[in-house]
Amino acid sequence: MILGHLRRRRQVSLLAAGVLEGGELDEALRHVEGCARCRRELEELRAVVAAMEADPLREAEPEVPLAVVVARVEREVERALVPAGRPRPWLVALPAAALLAVAFAVPSLVARLRPAPAAARAAIPPAEAGPLLTEDALARIERNLAREHAARYLSEAGEVLVAVAATGVDCDRAAERLDVGRAPERSRELLGRRALVQSGGEAVASARGVLDDVELALREVADLPSCVKRVDVERLRQEVERRQLLMRIRLMTRELEG
Amino acid sequence: MEPGGGAGDRELMARLAAGDREALAPLMERHYRRLYRIALSYLRQPEDALDVVQEAFVKAFRSASRWDGSAEAGPWLGRITVNLAIDRWRRNRRRAQTFTPLAEDDHASELADGSPSADQRVQRREAGERLAAALHRLPDRQRAVVVLRHYQDMSLEEIAGTLGMSLGTVKSSLHRALGRMRASLAGGRP
Repeated sequence: MILGHLRRRRQVSLLAAGVLEGGELDEALRHVEGCARCRRELEELRAVVAAMEADPLREAEPEVPLAVVVARVEREVERALVPAGRPRPWLVALPAAALLAVAFAVPSLVARLRPAPAAARAAIPPAEAGPLLTEDALARIERNLAREHAARYLSEAGEVLVAVAATGVDCDRAAERLDVGRAPERSRELLGRRALVQSGGEAVASARGVLDDVELALREVADLPSCVKRVDVERLRQEVERRQLLMRIRLMTRELEG
Repeated sequence: MEPGGGAGDRELMARLAAGDREALAPLMERHYRRLYRIALSYLRQPEDALDVVQEAFVKAFRSASRWDGSAEAGPWLGRITVNLAIDRWRRNRRRAQTFTPLAEDDHASELADGSPSADQRVQRREAGERLAAALHRLPDRQRAVVVLRHYQDMSLEEIAGTLGMSLGTVKSSLHRALGRMRASLAGGRP
């Protein structure tokens, strides 16, 4: 009896997942038809599946052109195989189109997780096209990517600061406290990525001042509870305004994006 | 699944196994986007996903000599990618360094006028965050099953082949994972 019940529940899940066929499908449908609780469960499970199927990540395009990834992978393979100081003959087999792709077709931050338009996708060069990607070219590509990472970091930090500064949602009206949601958690996550941005070195040198100020602000947010005294939110907002942080983030993001 | 199965893959893998590095680029061209999406769906972090895909191809090159010539390369590469994504996820979790990426926009104007489009963006973002949180609460293998089924549209057999699981284990993992996600998204926390 219990085994039968468990099997039926599993069938409802698999029905929602769209993986049942033939006799199993018929059996599951018959069962659901005569079981109100199972129908309700099926509806809820289908909503879960629908949420995943509507997730833009399903169609996300890689933001780094294939040729760049090929170059990086081959460099890693080369490192593992060739003693230091030996020439790297594989580099000559890499496509020059990659350089153009990175210079002109690396997707912008704005389009980062949206499906790329067909033209942009076509701009990603096929791996076997053209000759020559030099070490210099690769260095420029890495520089551009470091700047993109920094721009994204700043952009996301800006979102966090806006979320805190613009919140008007009471979580405890009597105590004059405002809800800042996941902003503290996201600040901690961003602070965890700070080292990666710094690893961009000279490529992100011009952003250092903004990055430092952003880090200070994120540290403040990271220490907040999710239900914050209004006066603390106001203090943070004033600090952000005093440092003109949102404007500087926006300008620096644009500069880094080139 | 995207194109990539069949004799072409086998030939490229055989060349790779023989140490022919020139087979790497065409193999990557066939599988780059698919593996990236697997990693991204699992990790939900573009930089990490890209790192994982790169590592996967390096590992594929290094392990090519051990590749079973009768097996399909696609699932084999998929399995490497999933395993690396799981490793990366565990490392990130230890560092509390996971992050769900967001759309970017003009922050100053959002702050100034709180326009409806900003509200919609916030709603979409929050829905995405809830989904991400529900996925992230799943045990590693269950999440892999869900990602391969609902982000890669793989059949149960393909998932079993990619993850090296029995069909029965895939079915029960999918059932448990969807049940947990249902409870998470309904507000509970299984």
